[in-house]
Amino acid sequence: MTVDWKSQIKRLVDRGAEYADVRYYPKQEEDFMFMWNGNFLAFNRSEESGFGVRVLVDGAWGFAASSDMTSPGETFDRAFANAAAAAARIKRPVRLADKEVLSGRFESPCGEDPFEVPLADKVAMLRDIDSFIRQPGVIQRRVKLSTVRKTIEYYDSEGAEIEKHIVDIFPSMQVAAFDDTGMMQSRKYLPPRLAPTRGWETMDLEHWRLQADRIVSEMRQLVEAPKCPEGRMSVILMPDMMYLQVHETIGHALELDRILGYELSFAGGSFVRLNDFGTLRYGSPKLNARADATLINSPGSFGFDDEGVAAQNRMLIDKGILVGAITSRQMVVEANERGGREIFEGSGGACRACAFYRTPIERMTNINIDPGQDGSLEDIIRQTERGVVLSGEKSWSIGSNREQFHFSTDIGWLVEDGERRGIVKDCAYSGMTLDFYRSLTAVGDETTWKVQYVDNCGKGAPGQIMQLGHGVPVCRFDNVKVGE
Amino acid sequence: MASDQIISTLRTLRAYALAQGADIHIEWKAEDSHLVRYANSAVSLNTNERLTILKITAYGDHKCASANLIVGENDLQTMKATIDKAIGMLAFASPLSYQPTIPSIGKTTVFEETYDPEVEFLPNEEIVAFVNEAVEGLETDDILLSGNFSSGVAVNASISTETPEVVFTRKSDIGITLVLASEKRKWEVNAEQFVSHKRDLDARALHDRLAWFVDQYTAKPEGRLPEGPYRVVLGPAATAEYLSFLGRVGYSAGAMKRGFSMFKEDDIGKKVLSDHFTLVEDPSMLATFPSPVDAYGRERGRRAIFDKGVLTGFIWNQQSADEFGGTATGHDVPNLSLVLQGGDADAARIQDFASLPRDGDILYVPYLHYANIVNPTEGLVTGVSRFGALYLKKDGSIMLPYNVRFTERLDKLFGEKLVWLSRELVPYGTSSTYFGRTPYAALVPALACFDGVNVEISNESF
Ligand SMILES: [Zn+2]
Repeated sequence: MTVDWKSQIKRLVDRGAEYADVRYYPKQEEDFMFMWNGNFLAFNRSEESGFGVRVLVDGAWGFAASSDMTSPGETFDRAFANAAAAAARIKRPVRLADKEVLSGRFESPCGEDPFEVPLADKVAMLRDIDSFIRQPGVIQRRVKLSTVRKTIEYYDSEGAEIEKHIVDIFPSMQVAAFDDTGMMQSRKYLPPRLAPTRGWETMDLEHWRLQADRIVSEMRQLVEAPKCPEGRMSVILMPDMMYLQVHETIGHALELDRILGYELSFAGGSFVRLNDFGTLRYGSPKLNARADATLINSPGSFGFDDEGVAAQNRMLIDKGILVGAITSRQMVVEANERGGREIFEGSGGACRACAFYRTPIERMTNINIDPGQDGSLEDIIRQTERGVVLSGEKSWSIGSNREQFHFSTDIGWLVEDGERRGIVKDCAYSGMTLDFYRSLTAVGDETTWKVQYVDNCGKGAPGQIMQLGHGVPVCRFDNVKVGE
Repeated sequence: MASDQIISTLRTLRAYALAQGADIHIEWKAEDSHLVRYANSAVSLNTNERLTILKITAYGDHKCASANLIVGENDLQTMKATIDKAIGMLAFASPLSYQPTIPSIGKTTVFEETYDPEVEFLPNEEIVAFVNEAVEGLETDDILLSGNFSSGVAVNASISTETPEVVFTRKSDIGITLVLASEKRKWEVNAEQFVSHKRDLDARALHDRLAWFVDQYTAKPEGRLPEGPYRVVLGPAATAEYLSFLGRVGYSAGAMKRGFSMFKEDDIGKKVLSDHFTLVEDPSMLATFPSPVDAYGRERGRRAIFDKGVLTGFIWNQQSADEFGGTATGHDVPNLSLVLQGGDADAARIQDFASLPRDGDILYVPYLHYANIVNPTEGLVTGVSRFGALYLKKDGSIMLPYNVRFTERLDKLFGEKLVWLSRELVPYGTSSTYFGRTPYAALVPALACFDGVNVEISNESF
């Protein structure tokens, strides 16, 4: 069934809506396969189709969504009625930052569409990866593959017309065994982006074989390893841990809706205040962070956000000073008003929804740390008196204003007097966000920089799970609290 | 859609699958959700989502495959195509080491005891009026309201090709979280309610709690607590959070068999937690949004999981039972009906407890933010206090502590560290997860006291 979306939008504007947009998903598909010790616990294909309508009436938002296409006008009307009702209790009418009204199309780069790959080949790929990690000493084996394909049509009352076609792929493997105290020790591999594209062509079996041998070897050593010593020392974060550190304590902390109090009832706020922009020393001068939605091979790139704003590459932290945030049209206007100055210039194009039935909110794009001048991992180790190299996120817990954190990792390597010593298990570290980034003393060069994906970032109410990326180098932080 | 219409649709789809010679299980999940969201003392979002989700699982010899679909509720043609898709996928499914059990439902059950049509059609105006009453007189230029008023209906129904019988539940629920927060000082306090029926809404109770907390937070001195061990009293949200982790790494047979459990099979029959700790799964407790029959048609009854600290056994879902040779225990349900039995302490509301005489200092923590398992086999969980911690001093005074982080082992917390539980139970839950509307609540003691809980990080401001 075809719906004339533009005339539905016009109908709401004629009724008095100040703004309206609709996102129509003709089809969003996901294949999810999850093998545990050789058994497929999930062998699932899902499909969804529907539309979501967002309307601004008298300065208030209403939203409605439906998977039923038989009477779309009812859903448009419901969104309008919700907005009109919300308008009874607002303090500051919502206004949207000006934008360039765009018509366009975005297609994520894909050599081979994973949905055109025969199911038998996908199953064979997982079984092959499973066979690589089926080695002596491995008690638990997990192999996961999620592939996503979606088409989104976007129309708004300002005249934007955008179509996006996005394909992504999220593979991983994990091995585990028990140590002599009965505690589980595990090692996993979520590949960084290995190619300039986002399709099936990025799955290189030989690469997986090499990585499988590496993680199995490390897991075997972990089972025999001593516990990580406790105390204050340097931590050297590998990209497969640094990405999560950045995600939780730079990315979420700099979402402008959190800073403005829009997530206070659940996800939380941010320690950052509006008058911090331009002056707050977030980290040492070695820290340069950016929101880069133009990094084409990463799931945090989507051409245009769900307000029709084009992808951008903006600095967040410049030589340690806070200069930017992750922003939408509504929030930049409100921040500038509440801050009493022009803090932000236009939307940063970071307003996204995870599905047709959710409303767009500030979401990370690719929150990256620029490579530095401190050489390779081995160079950084050579310059480290006492510390631990940490890899593989195992658990994470962060304060509600992102002011403090606790992470544990799969594995660590002790460093003493500039030399890498043995492997240690049960590594955890914690700290206060600003103290931590101010203690950044080494940033690896481009050879250490990797783009890691996140396929499960949760935020919002109703809850939304989003996909994005982080390009990060190896980084060293000094005087960090290490221990349980 | 009425229950008989959904049942009839499921039987039509079953007939279609039988005509294809397939063995399938069809799960129907529908939600009609309404969320009024508040931020900065205004309605920031007002949403409706109407979704029908169909999950088809096809079974073969040591194989299964599934296809999910979000679909129009009357779109039979697409639903049938999804059945074809699941059947088609089965040919490519990799052989399993076990034969998965297809549900065989012996009797049609329609359960609507926690459904209130008034919740389904709750108008915007009533919601806004209710929230206004709950926060009346408490907002200022600096103290701003945030929160969610989530109301809606969730339907779960299933049928398989084995029998024409259907398990059907329809549940309504309202989940309210109201937060008052100081924009300048950055403190936050909250009040919550989870009910299935509109008649159980109580704006007054929300108001009483919020007003008392705002009084404390505007009048009492604030400060940073030194790191170290404390006697801690948890509110229902924090207790329920710890219980949810115990469910993941404590008594799930699947987690135990996969090595992600703090307890092992030979712990059954042993006293592994405190005498004060009796946790039952009781589908007769309507406040828990129960399912009296599980997805396999098994009738469910009350069962203690821990009885005075003794682990009575693990909970087996059908998949784990199939894979590891166990017997399913009737827990293939959207949510368990957990009840942590109360103790003999009379205090229920923090407002009353704070005014009682005490023989030592007590740290009250209503809520744990972003808690997570650090190590599943150790049962080690970390999390940060949020939404109105109080430091109740021995001399009767109250101080406002900045948030603190605990990293505790669940067997120690619910073992030697558990001091007392209050008699009164309160439901604590959620309306929805990231995966759709799934009303859920655990019944937990209003207050729970623990000794020697270690503050390992103490914030330097709110
Ligand atoms: Zn996240």
